[in-house]
Amino acid sequence: MSAAADTKEQVAALGEKYKYGFVTDIEMERAPKGLSEETVRYISAKKGEPEWMLDWRLGAFRRWNEMTEPNWARVHYPKIDYQNAYYYAAPKAPEKKLSLNEVDPKLLETYAKLGIPLSEQKMLAGVAVDAVFDSVSVATTFKAKLNEAGVIFCPISEAIRDYPDMVRKYLGTVVPVSDNFFATLNSAVFSDGTFVYVPKGVRCPMELSTYFRINASNTGQFERTLIIADEGSYVSYLEGCTAPMRDENQLHAAVVELVALEGAEIKYSTVQNWYPGDENGKGGIYNFVTKRGDCRGARSKISWTQVETGSAITWKYPSCILRGDDTVGEFYSIAIANHYQQADTGTKMIHLGKNTRSRIISKGISAGKAQNTYRGLVSVHPKAVNARNYTQCDSLLIGGKCGAHTVPYIESRNPSARIEHEATTSKIAEDQLFYCLQRGISQDEAVSLIVNGFCREVLQQLPMEFAVEAQKLVGISLEGSVG
Amino acid sequence: MLEIKNLHVAVGGKEILKGLTLSIGEGEVHAIMGPNGSGKSTLSYVLAGREGYEITQGSISYRGGDLATMKTEDRAAKGVFLAMQYPVEIPGVTTLTFLKTALNAQRRARGDSELDAMSVLKLVRQRATALQVTEEMLKRALNVGFSGGEKKRLEILQMSLFEPKLAILDETDSGLDIDALKLVAEGVNALRAPERAMLVITHYQRLLNYIVPDRVHVLAGGRIVAEGGKELAHELEAKGYAHIVKEPA
Amino acid sequence: MNAALPSRDARRAEALESFRERGMPHRRFEHWRYSDLRAILDAGQVAQSGTAAWHLEKAPEGVETFDLGKPDAPDWVMRNLGTIGARPTMKEASLAFADGGIALRVPRGRKIAEPARLQISSTGNVRVLLVLEEETSLTLLETHTGDAGLLRNVGVEIALASQAKLSHVRFAASALKSISVEHIGVTQARGAQYRAHFANFGSRLSRTELHILLQEEDAEAHLSGVNVLGDEGHADLTSHIEHVAGNTRSTQLFKKVAGGHSRAVYQGKITVREGANGSDSRQTAKALLLGGRAEADLKPELIIFADDVKCAHGAAVGDLDPESLFYLRSRGVPEAEARHMLVRAFLEDAVAEIENEELRAAIWQDVEHALPHAMRAAR
Repeated sequence: MSAAADTKEQVAALGEKYKYGFVTDIEMERAPKGLSEETVRYISAKKGEPEWMLDWRLGAFRRWNEMTEPNWARVHYPKIDYQNAYYYAAPKAPEKKLSLNEVDPKLLETYAKLGIPLSEQKMLAGVAVDAVFDSVSVATTFKAKLNEAGVIFCPISEAIRDYPDMVRKYLGTVVPVSDNFFATLNSAVFSDGTFVYVPKGVRCPMELSTYFRINASNTGQFERTLIIADEGSYVSYLEGCTAPMRDENQLHAAVVELVALEGAEIKYSTVQNWYPGDENGKGGIYNFVTKRGDCRGARSKISWTQVETGSAITWKYPSCILRGDDTVGEFYSIAIANHYQQADTGTKMIHLGKNTRSRIISKGISAGKAQNTYRGLVSVHPKAVNARNYTQCDSLLIGGKCGAHTVPYIESRNPSARIEHEATTSKIAEDQLFYCLQRGISQDEAVSLIVNGFCREVLQQLPMEFAVEAQKLVGISLEGSVG
Repeated sequence: MLEIKNLHVAVGGKEILKGLTLSIGEGEVHAIMGPNGSGKSTLSYVLAGREGYEITQGSISYRGGDLATMKTEDRAAKGVFLAMQYPVEIPGVTTLTFLKTALNAQRRARGDSELDAMSVLKLVRQRATALQVTEEMLKRALNVGFSGGEKKRLEILQMSLFEPKLAILDETDSGLDIDALKLVAEGVNALRAPERAMLVITHYQRLLNYIVPDRVHVLAGGRIVAEGGKELAHELEAKGYAHIVKEPA
Repeated sequence: MNAALPSRDARRAEALESFRERGMPHRRFEHWRYSDLRAILDAGQVAQSGTAAWHLEKAPEGVETFDLGKPDAPDWVMRNLGTIGARPTMKEASLAFADGGIALRVPRGRKIAEPARLQISSTGNVRVLLVLEEETSLTLLETHTGDAGLLRNVGVEIALASQAKLSHVRFAASALKSISVEHIGVTQARGAQYRAHFANFGSRLSRTELHILLQEEDAEAHLSGVNVLGDEGHADLTSHIEHVAGNTRSTQLFKKVAGGHSRAVYQGKITVREGANGSDSRQTAKALLLGGRAEADLKPELIIFADDVKCAHGAAVGDLDPESLFYLRSRGVPEAEARHMLVRAFLEDAVAEIENEELRAAIWQDVEHALPHAMRAAR
């Protein structure tokens, strides 16, 4: 079956409203409730980690105890009780299976229902998937094929065991342990995530993808992703996320670190569809995520593309440190907030090297009673001769009860740098809607069409396999928002 | 096919149509002429079902049903097409995507199977040539950066694709030079058919040299004040509106 | 006299307590990110700096004045003093520590052609109050000179009644030894117009902050300004315009030239409150960096709670366009002259926002005076 056909099927499977709200009934193993040094030791022991890793975690935990939760973002939520949650939950099963045939059929069923078939025959052609269920990775596909190319694509817990030198060399070098409250928490308690290494000169033969699923109730998810693109290599990576519909709020605090060495390119795409809460704002995921890429080598490039439709609260700023000369950073974002969702998202482009270039295209859509903020920093340091940035931030409002906010910071300390920033705010025009309706297109479909048009520049950046799904998601997220 | 009886329409509380009565049969082409502000565009919008155009009195019957109670998109699916005086720009949505979305929405509403991208493209190409709508135009965002002539040709292309039962052409001649006008008129004439009625709304007689109507109605002050054959249009051209509008009073 | 109004002493006491409680602003305050006042000044120094000297060069015919240092303030002063716009900590300090200042009133229906010329020439705290009644107009020229002492802290309040029109031109000469802080609060009723231009040539730390409330329909605020900075100059213009009512308009156009080790800051925040439909807001801030050690920080912010609005902002930082420079040189214009010409051209549209021709000419003269400093190569 072709990738296109599969995608089509997936799209057809996307129903009305939130389709991923179901719960898988599977026996779980959890750490004791609450967060203490014991919790950290428990997680480390469960993973059979070496001493250095435990020490690293404990160091982070001690730092975290001294930190306070940030409050500068334009999001409001009741105080989180960090002791009233579980920090580790995994499907009860012996050690992870090597063969997919041995994975619990209930899990395979779950991923099939999510449109992510893990069985070999049905896999998306050309896309390798790592499936993370609550705190652990349950399956990784196409490993053998990737091995041939020398690409390592595995759960990070496995990488800590099998490639400790590589992990030690890069972990925490892009997002330091004490970077911010949520990143430090993640450093202490992260349970799984994905590790990717692409060797020198290798163009990764397929799209890599991780599919994150929160299932257990009252459990935080703290995954950690580390991607290293060695000199002259290329990799395209996509993550997707969903969670069941629950009345309680669940915390998701991930850290993603990307390292691009000389001449390497990393394309990182996200389709974030965590449960957003119901139309009255009850439930939903708190998504507090730190994502950062380091263009460490000259002429490297990191490109972030994100489609953020889910979560009750999104707090996320995928950033690029343009350290090497002639490096390129890109950020393409669609953030949709409906009902009572709150999104505060954007990027930081830190120009350190000469001739560094960055581009930011942000499209924010607010509907219902939602608040949507773009927050971005473009910083040009004194040595970043000839740095260039272009930023375009557009906001679309649907209805008079929501908010759309733009907060750009532009800081230049080099006279040869050029920074350009433009922002607009508008609403869907009545004449555009009427034109569509007159040609027989329904209200919801018209909104979807117009909003997709508004987002086009960003959607074009997504890998083909996922662009269609994302377009559909844009429409579904806004159903019933007009009229 | 279309029976309008004593139609009163208000926009923002102000009455624009004040008792309009009009009847159009299958296969007929009617022209509505009238000075600025006579209610021509209001008539086209109320037939298409634009929000804010309130029927305060009277009725519109379309192919045996009550048009006024139907949703805008359902009217379209049931064959009502309005070629707009000012076609709307929708940034980021390519023309071809729009055509496919609309065509399939209408087919779905009628219970027909949807067409895949290739079939739509084939169909569009087939109809586009005569109207000189190029491949390049189809790839551009809908109406964005189109010239006046291109916009109007695209409207007629849509009319050709959707094969409506009742086509309303609102000032299709405005902003067109003579060559563009001829091209559009040829497109329209090619679509004249025994089962298709047309309502051509225009200020000037010029368009009616190319699209020859069966009946001409003169709209003034929200009412039909004069009716006749195609020769009425020439009379209007020669004597002006003032002459005709005053006469019946 | 309205007995229900608190006394001036009560207001000053309240302001003092508020300042003591909140303390000095510093870079961890979101809106003081680029102007770390606490790093160079402490609260005791603010209190000790006393009252600044001001001088109103003969009040134009028809304008009522009152010296805020005098007892028995009239009703129009008491109704407004300490009530207009936000009350950030330094503004509270200006009320608490200033033993004087100037209040001006334009009575209903008076259109004053002659500009009111206000000069502030020494350090210290001072208050300014402007009350423009219905259907009035006035031009205010506010000039800051002198560079002795530590801090000048000015608290300005402006109440514009319906159809009142104020043109405000603020000129601050280069004063690289001293610190300048000014907060301007403006309330605008129906159809009121506030046009303001800020020409600032840099201080050790200079902070000019505006809080404008467009409270009723058809109120308009049009802000513009230029900085020409060299050496260690600093100029921070921070504005917050709130579209409280619908069908209100605001525009902002700021041009900044920074050379040497200077720092030019613009923070512009637009809020459109819920239901303020028909609000129209444009904001442009551009900086030209001429020196290897100069810095520009721009933060144009939009906070929108209504959907039927037109809001846009643009910001840019860069060098002189090399192509334009080449073009001029290829036509025989020497490089220095060509650069000078292009810098002037860059500032042109912002200066053109000043309606009064005489004041416009005066600003150009000051720009010319400051340009050599800004264009001198950094060490």
